[in-house]
Amino acid sequence: MVDFIQNTLDGIFIGSSYALLAIGFTLIFGVMRRLNLSYGPSIMLGVFAGTLLYIQLNAGLLVVGLATVVGAVLAGLYVERICFWAVRRGAALASMVSSFAIWMQLEEAVTIVFPDRTYPFPPLADFTLKLGPFWVRGEHLIMFICASLLTILLHLLLYRTRFGLAIRAVSENPTAAKFMGINTGLVVMFAFALASVIGGVAGYLIASTDQQVTPLFGLWATFKGLIAMTLGGMGSIPGAIAGGLLLGVIEAQSVWYLGTEYRDLVAYAVLFAFLVFRPGGLFAQKSAMQSRLAARRV
Amino acid sequence: MAVLEINDIVTAYGKIEALKGVSLSVAEGKITCLLGPNGAGKTTLMMTISGILKPQRGAIRFNGQDLAGKPARTVVGQGVALVPENRLVFPEMTVEENLKAGAYLRRDAGKVPSDIASVYERFPRLQERREQYAGTLSGGEQQMLAISRALMARPKLLLMDEPSLGLAPLIVEDIFRIVRELNNEGTTIFLVEQNAHMALQVAHHFYLIEQGKIVFDGSPDEMEEDEVIKRAYLGSKV
Repeated sequence: MVDFIQNTLDGIFIGSSYALLAIGFTLIFGVMRRLNLSYGPSIMLGVFAGTLLYIQLNAGLLVVGLATVVGAVLAGLYVERICFWAVRRGAALASMVSSFAIWMQLEEAVTIVFPDRTYPFPPLADFTLKLGPFWVRGEHLIMFICASLLTILLHLLLYRTRFGLAIRAVSENPTAAKFMGINTGLVVMFAFALASVIGGVAGYLIASTDQQVTPLFGLWATFKGLIAMTLGGMGSIPGAIAGGLLLGVIEAQSVWYLGTEYRDLVAYAVLFAFLVFRPGGLFAQKSAMQSRLAARRV
Repeated sequence: MAVLEINDIVTAYGKIEALKGVSLSVAEGKITCLLGPNGAGKTTLMMTISGILKPQRGAIRFNGQDLAGKPARTVVGQGVALVPENRLVFPEMTVEENLKAGAYLRRDAGKVPSDIASVYERFPRLQERREQYAGTLSGGEQQMLAISRALMARPKLLLMDEPSLGLAPLIVEDIFRIVRELNNEGTTIFLVEQNAHMALQVAHHFYLIEQGKIVFDGSPDEMEEDEVIKRAYLGSKV
């Protein structure tokens, strides 16, 4: 029982970073109704910007973090211009395919500049807390606190500010949002930037926990975010949080009870089960789907 | 005096011209109604005026300013607000958030709360449901919300695209009573309708559009006297 609870705790801590990735995915999916497969790779670019400053200039934690976020935002905006703005009148599939192409491009670009594959990333904290029979790693605790703070900030932005209202309006009905005088193109760009900030923070937290990065980080981040978003329900922020935590706990339990090699196998099995039995995810948006169908009749 | 003047507007979807040179004008302080069957181009015209669709050609002059091809935010900023077909309220926002979205471009944010209060005065039902998601409202309530949301922009010209669509007859009467009320308070209204009988009770001037062209332009009296219109749009009741 102690093991099970310890695994659950570990899973929730790790899962908080998955939740951030899923929130980023869901924000972009919310305003675009399109998948951005390049989301993970654009974060990877940010992480490598951070690691570059770390190995070349021995930069401090704050500078590395800032470089990671700025790099992720710039890469995210690049993806938005190429894969979404430029083909906004084309089919949704066009965006997905071009975001896959840009993924390959970003990965290649990073591999050319960083030919050694694996690079160091500065650790955030090196302590372990003991709470009764349970252990909590310092970097996990920081990860969880940062993720929670960021989620609260995002909630305030979306529900307490004028621009947040505009983002929600565009997510619910872009045409109606235009009738309100909302500059939807600007809102989409801002949503991408926001998702990239969140992704950059997640990337920083994860890389500093692993203390190393490889160009495969992009693939990893896209998969984790995509799975967590699908488990929770696409386009739903509470869903993204729940999906991220659930994925973290599933992984931690299967590593403990079945072994590391089964971690992804179990995660994909759960994803498959969801797709078959609950395709809308934990927080299926029934009313939103219905109104969207109604809007399509216009 | 004409507040809105539309001159020879052509709007196409790909190669298919939905509007084939539409010209009309909307007089200040009046209710102007555009009648026409499904697919005649009514909603296309509304979308073109609102800045969602770009016309191939032609001019849209509002208070002397050319709005043709300008983005929707410019059109709203100039004082033209639309109550869209099928209402298009934001279903997962509360009633009050919908109203705030309608005031998005307003620079006088301080006056927005009092405008929301006067919306609630006009529609007590919306006040009762102010914290409710708009998606949970009935069709009539959603239409009232869509009208109120457009009013939050304090428009000089209110465009209404088939406000009676899909509503029960009693609710339709309510909606048209509100249309007349808003007009009496000084708002110029350009109304698109299929319900010719209801429109006859409120509008001061009529246009009829068929297959992308204006085929009739006249007063309510002239419309009632026109044999073709009588047969096609007013049926045996007149």
